[in-house]
Amino acid sequence: MQDAVYLDNSATTPVLPQVWARVQAAMAEGYFNPSAAYAPAAAAERALDACRSALRGALGARDYGVIFTSGGTEADALALLGLAGARRGPMAFYCSAVEHPAVRQAMAALATHGHSVAQLPVDERGVLDIRRCEAALGEDAALVSVMQVNNETGAVQPLAALRALMRARCPRALLHVDGVQGFLRVPIALQRDGVDMYTLSAHKVHGPKGCGALLVRPGVRLAPLIPGGGQEGGLRGGTENTPGILGLHAAVDALRGMPDLAVALAARKARLWMLLHQGDGALAVNGPLPVDAESAPHILNVSFPGVGGEVMLHALESRGVYVSTGSACSSRREKHSAVLAAMGLSGDRLDSAIRFSLSPLNTDEEIAFAAQAALALYAQLKDYRRR
Amino acid sequence: MRSLLLVRFGEVHLKGLNRPYFMHALLRHIRRAVADVGGEVWLSDSRIFVSGADDMEECARRVCRVFGVHSVSPALEMEKDDFAAICEQAVGLLRPLGGTFKVAARRSDKRYPLDSPAINGKIGAYVLAKLPHLAVDVHAPDHRLDVEIRDKAYLYVTRMPAVGGLPMGTNGKACLLLSGGIDSPVAGFMVAKRGVALTCVHFHSFPYTSERAKQKVVDLAKVLSGYCGPVRLHVVPFTHIQMDIHRLCPDNLGTLVMRRFMMRIAQRVALTEGAQALVTGESIGQVASQTMEALACTNETVTLPVFRPLIGFDKSEIVERAETIGTYALSSLPYEDCCTVFTPRHPVTHPKPEKVAQAEAALDVEALVEEAVAGIELVETGATGAE
Repeated sequence: MQDAVYLDNSATTPVLPQVWARVQAAMAEGYFNPSAAYAPAAAAERALDACRSALRGALGARDYGVIFTSGGTEADALALLGLAGARRGPMAFYCSAVEHPAVRQAMAALATHGHSVAQLPVDERGVLDIRRCEAALGEDAALVSVMQVNNETGAVQPLAALRALMRARCPRALLHVDGVQGFLRVPIALQRDGVDMYTLSAHKVHGPKGCGALLVRPGVRLAPLIPGGGQEGGLRGGTENTPGILGLHAAVDALRGMPDLAVALAARKARLWMLLHQGDGALAVNGPLPVDAESAPHILNVSFPGVGGEVMLHALESRGVYVSTGSACSSRREKHSAVLAAMGLSGDRLDSAIRFSLSPLNTDEEIAFAAQAALALYAQLKDYRRR
Repeated sequence: MRSLLLVRFGEVHLKGLNRPYFMHALLRHIRRAVADVGGEVWLSDSRIFVSGADDMEECARRVCRVFGVHSVSPALEMEKDDFAAICEQAVGLLRPLGGTFKVAARRSDKRYPLDSPAINGKIGAYVLAKLPHLAVDVHAPDHRLDVEIRDKAYLYVTRMPAVGGLPMGTNGKACLLLSGGIDSPVAGFMVAKRGVALTCVHFHSFPYTSERAKQKVVDLAKVLSGYCGPVRLHVVPFTHIQMDIHRLCPDNLGTLVMRRFMMRIAQRVALTEGAQALVTGESIGQVASQTMEALACTNETVTLPVFRPLIGFDKSEIVERAETIGTYALSSLPYEDCCTVFTPRHPVTHPKPEKVAQAEAALDVEALVEEAVAGIELVETGATGAE
């Protein structure tokens, strides 16, 4: 058997060697507190600022504020709860029906604080249904939060169309985009695309865990969730995670240095689906097809009818292929994926969904091996249905 | 003066000529239980004493969990000749308490100048004079101050009920069929409490059950080993058997045929491990495979006695015990331990022996058992184990 084939990159990604080298250096030599007064501390502070600049550059976000957080979940919470904390009175919040729990649960917290919260509808592929959004979106909207790429299906959300709809219907509303799954793999320019806040996470792009950021358009006022010692412009207390942030910087540099990253990813994903589809016509894609414009280049969700997702996962595990049944955060608790259910999937199709998520480190050989393993196992397992 | 634990042992008292054997085992297990908190254990005057631990409370908790211990009293040991000092310490013990009390003296030293009623009277009067908030009630007091005059004097006011039973290993060894569920760990505990050492068998159906499900069973065995010493867990690969049953046997008999395999394999393990009985968590009528006919049908595959300590328990009573023992939270973790693929929708509840025999005729029972036994993976848990 060949080495492990890691196809669960939407859960987390392997840390690149140049990233851990940078993290180690930050721990060994650059351990100074960026807030301290002496020269080496000032150097640490400059290193943080360099990372901020790199993020602005990668996201077309000149002049945006960059608030470092413990990861994507905290950045999402800061965007939603921080906005509610900075303004008076109840407000109206909207998010898509397929958001990550980081946003869904923050919305639930807002609802318990007396704000009105509502969901925007998606179509059967999990893509925001702009026509139906028109009716759903109120003129009083204060914030709309929609993810760039869905973590389970790879659906790329039509942010430009959404922003246009918002301009017509609720021009004063802010747009927050959870970019955790899209960052560096699906292009976006925050200024141009009218994105007011953007969440990203380091460990989904081959950086270290425990580090993320919220980018904020100038003029958007937030209240901190963690007050503390005035770091990050008073918006996030606590000594900065310098090794994590420097690691994030190294990861951003590495991924931006990969030519045609998205094209190569998309080609492998298309190949994976082609092999699976040719091997067994019963398999079905959940979410946009790889050829669709709304399909992210790295996430493929496939149902293997008649074989429970968890069984398929463990069977693939026995061949050294690591995949997921839903988002890693939820697969240990919920029996079914809320995202797939929101798309109208049910029964066997829902029970048998498997998510393959790719990274630039995956090779063509790995894709072929995974497809072959999945097909062989499926042929074996599909006869053992519950009668 | 020093503080120590006075340990009472229940049924070991009842033993006749074998008593030294039981006492020796009990002492050994108490020593093992308190070894790493630094407790010193000795036998004197048909009482077991423990002292010298850094944390006497933790030490007491541990002693309370040793099978064979009936109750534990944290006590003060004093010179018996200084009666004034005894009175003073009695005041000290009762001061934090409220309500009514009585003094209960006993003297095994019959040469002591005061007899028991005189000791009761003198200490009682002294305490009342010093602690006017207390009152005496000799019939139903809130607190009882025990004073024992032996070669030293011992004073105590609390009696911590302990687990009871008989010293571990004094009643041979049994083989427990341990699933990841709520019942089997409780059944194992109850048999172990009677001084029976345990060895465990678990049936693992990868990929239908996961590595996490297996780890959960290892953790359960570890909890049991906290009571009954090292436990060896035999993890039996069971997928092939389940698949053959699913393929070749009538669906409604599947579970029964499967249970019969489990019993056969458990007996094989028991015999190689020197165990004299099998233990299961079955309770009459709890599920289809636990009706009396079904139990008879699985029982007939083995010759060893099968102990089912939960046979007359309701589920709620079992849950209560599992909570007390500390296995409930683990047992409730959501990993599948027997995939629904193999659970018939309409299992037979009143099986006919000839039908079951007929169903089994389609399988190569001997070869399947042999293959499963050959594939057993051993996991050692508890004091001498790696886990």
